[in-house]
Amino acid sequence: MGRTIPSITQVFMHEEQSLSRFRRALRRSDQLALDELLSSARQHIAAAAYATHVLPMETFLVAMILEEHKEVRRLRDEVERLRQQCDAND
Amino acid sequence: MKWNGCASNVMQTINGWLLDLFEDTQAAGVVLWVLTDEGKRVRLHQPFPIRFSLSGPAKVLRQVWRFLKSHASQPQLSRREGRDLFHPEPVDLLVVEVASFSLQQRLFRELLDRYPDLLYYDADVSLPLRYAAKTDSFPLCRCEITCFESGLMHQFIVRDSPWELDPQAPALTIMNLEPDCDPLHASPQALLVSVAGVNYRLSLHPARALLINLQALLKRHDPDVLLTRWGDTWLLPFLVQLAEKNEITLALNREPGHGFLQRPERSYFSYGQIMYSGQQFHLFGRWHIDRQNAMFWTDFGLDGIIEMARVTSQPVQVAARTSPGTGISSMQVLTALRNNILVPWHKQQGERPKTALELIESDLGGLVYQPLVGLHRDVGAIDFISMYPAIMVRCNISPETNKTGLLETGDEPAGLIPLTLEPLLKKRVALKQRAANLPNWDPRRKLDKARSGAHKWLLVTCFGYLGYKNARFGRIEAHEAVTAGGREALLRAKEASEDMGFQVLHMYVDGLWIYQAGKNQPQDFVPLLDEIARRTGLAIALDGVYRWVAFLPSRVNARVPVPNRYFGVFQDGSLKVRGLEARRRDSAPWVARMQMDLLEYLAQAEDADQLPDYIPGAMAILRRHLANLQAGRVPLEDLLVALRLSREPQEYTVKTAGVRAAMQLQEIGKSLRPGQRVRLLYLRGGQVQAWDMPGKPDARCIDLGRYYELAVRAASAVFYPLGLSEDELRAWLKGGIQLCFQFALPAGKRQILLPPSSEEQAWQTLFLGVKTGKQELVIG
Repeated sequence: MGRTIPSITQVFMHEEQSLSRFRRALRRSDQLALDELLSSARQHIAAAAYATHVLPMETFLVAMILEEHKEVRRLRDEVERLRQQCDAND
Repeated sequence: MKWNGCASNVMQTINGWLLDLFEDTQAAGVVLWVLTDEGKRVRLHQPFPIRFSLSGPAKVLRQVWRFLKSHASQPQLSRREGRDLFHPEPVDLLVVEVASFSLQQRLFRELLDRYPDLLYYDADVSLPLRYAAKTDSFPLCRCEITCFESGLMHQFIVRDSPWELDPQAPALTIMNLEPDCDPLHASPQALLVSVAGVNYRLSLHPARALLINLQALLKRHDPDVLLTRWGDTWLLPFLVQLAEKNEITLALNREPGHGFLQRPERSYFSYGQIMYSGQQFHLFGRWHIDRQNAMFWTDFGLDGIIEMARVTSQPVQVAARTSPGTGISSMQVLTALRNNILVPWHKQQGERPKTALELIESDLGGLVYQPLVGLHRDVGAIDFISMYPAIMVRCNISPETNKTGLLETGDEPAGLIPLTLEPLLKKRVALKQRAANLPNWDPRRKLDKARSGAHKWLLVTCFGYLGYKNARFGRIEAHEAVTAGGREALLRAKEASEDMGFQVLHMYVDGLWIYQAGKNQPQDFVPLLDEIARRTGLAIALDGVYRWVAFLPSRVNARVPVPNRYFGVFQDGSLKVRGLEARRRDSAPWVARMQMDLLEYLAQAEDADQLPDYIPGAMAILRRHLANLQAGRVPLEDLLVALRLSREPQEYTVKTAGVRAAMQLQEIGKSLRPGQRVRLLYLRGGQVQAWDMPGKPDARCIDLGRYYELAVRAASAVFYPLGLSEDELRAWLKGGIQLCFQFALPAGKRQILLPPSSEEQAWQTLFLGVKTGKQELVIG
């Protein structure tokens, strides 16, 4: 409404659209993984808006890596916990 | 103001309240209706010359001077300099003064035709605003008047200001007037009148009896306010026509011999929606307020409308019908007139050219985060008090002032916008602080709430008007400076919260939802509030502490959170619901009530740990509502869905339910304008029926399946955050199977089993108990 620049949600949807051909050519299992990546980028849409980067897709990619890294850290902690449990049982 | 009259009559002093003000049709000037301390309604009048100014090339101004010299309206002409907000240099003006408001309007139109390229100032300001600028008057102001016996005013002094917290209120006589049914739905048979505690039912036939009785009531009670339903769109035009046809006088106006002011209906675009405003019917010397056509009747009633009129200085009848945007513009015009700033007729200022990068950096709104979906406990909700207006006042943001740093104060004198907003903001904060300390039984609570509701709308729209290109005192850069300040304040608040150990669950433009283990009392949040106020310079308050709050995901994609769809229960047990069916104006009342029943039942849980115990009962409530639907015990009115049309029905390519219903109405000659809502029922076979069609639809044709769907969807929004998915809910409802699901709590998940037997038990205690309770009531 009365904006010169498209809103961040519009930009995000546009980027999602531009991946649609890529997505179509992926295997079903890969498609689902891609969808998960996109929703994790979407969680940081407000921060991406605040960033006002000229190429917002770069910010979205960083957001995806961020969520992936959080997951890696969570899994690392989980492995550590399980290892300690194993050690304790030995 | 003083007026030296010529009459040598005895002078008298009147104390009272200003009821109405409009142009005198008998002599050049204004008429004031005043309610005196003794309870009398007096008509006073006074000459009131009107001025406006022109500027342009000196050659053209000389031509205009010559033209006006010999004009029939005999204007007084003079030259002076004035201040245009958008020009740094003073402007050379030709000032034109005529005897009356209507003469000025005619002369202005005439000049505009002849000299369209000149700049016109103060040319289209309404009469009440001009009077307010001169005398500081506003509707229902306390005034002291000296006048001659003829009613000619000598002196008019205003004794209070619209910013007083507890103004002395007059006792207004209110007459309620409404037809016995919605005239769009069926043809009314009688007129229901209630005045001074007595109810009358006047049959519409025969017309003579109706008119004579109504006239007698008007004469006996002489009401100050005619409070009607459908008075603008149907009732008053109908009564006036009837009176003319029967040649009976019906004194709807208090002012004798005055006509009525009728304004046609219109559709307009506001906040991303097409809105509709019905035709209007204004009275003179008496207010007519149509509850169906008053913008905010349902939000804050007559008290709020009067407050809106008082702070904006618009007449009550105008304030009741116009948007808060018009109100805030009036306040700005008034500030301008009082500070000798010229009010341009059309703004000349365009937007400064910007680079693409500047646009990307500045064309942003408020920060809207994605909440952490799910159920959370002990959540504090904190809000900046009127964030955007507070930023405008603090940073002195106005079209003519220079930009300060983010959230910093400047040393320039206050600009037009801060000058206009500051007293309003102060009053709102004072009322808010008082509301926090008033006990529940205090009668001022309700009044304060209505008034602060009116203030809220004015303050909210003021921000929008800064960025609106047609607004007289708008400038897009000022608008952008405000949102930039807002984003900065929210981020500083986030940083302060995280520094003090809180987890930020959600942020929304001017509010934050935060959690820290063990902090669930209001005083636990005080140090944080102080710290945020210190870092931002803006006032922030605790909205409340939630026992539990649930943020919901998008209906389309469960992985995507939605910023404004949540519900929660505060520590005092009160509910806050946003974006759910229960709050949406298009949902069927039955669906909304079902959802609200579920939420109110769950709200009884003392804390989140107890929620699982309440699930069987909630399930029973849902099943009970569905059983009512199945058995046809739901009245048709409760199944009405009200859909808003955003354009003419023919313009739609896809014929949605709302469009088909509107077309049905069109066929029988009842047309709907964009922005109006069409109420309809879903019938079997994908059919719809518009509610305003003659004849009631057969209850057997109702598409029960469709309503079942709507209800289950609404219920699932409530159960989802508890860990029960929509599919599981459906399966349970279909088969009554035993249900086993993970109950979602942030701390400690726990398995619960929900055998139908426990739900059955809850049904027994909930509804059989209610039933006996009702019977006792009947007997008692």
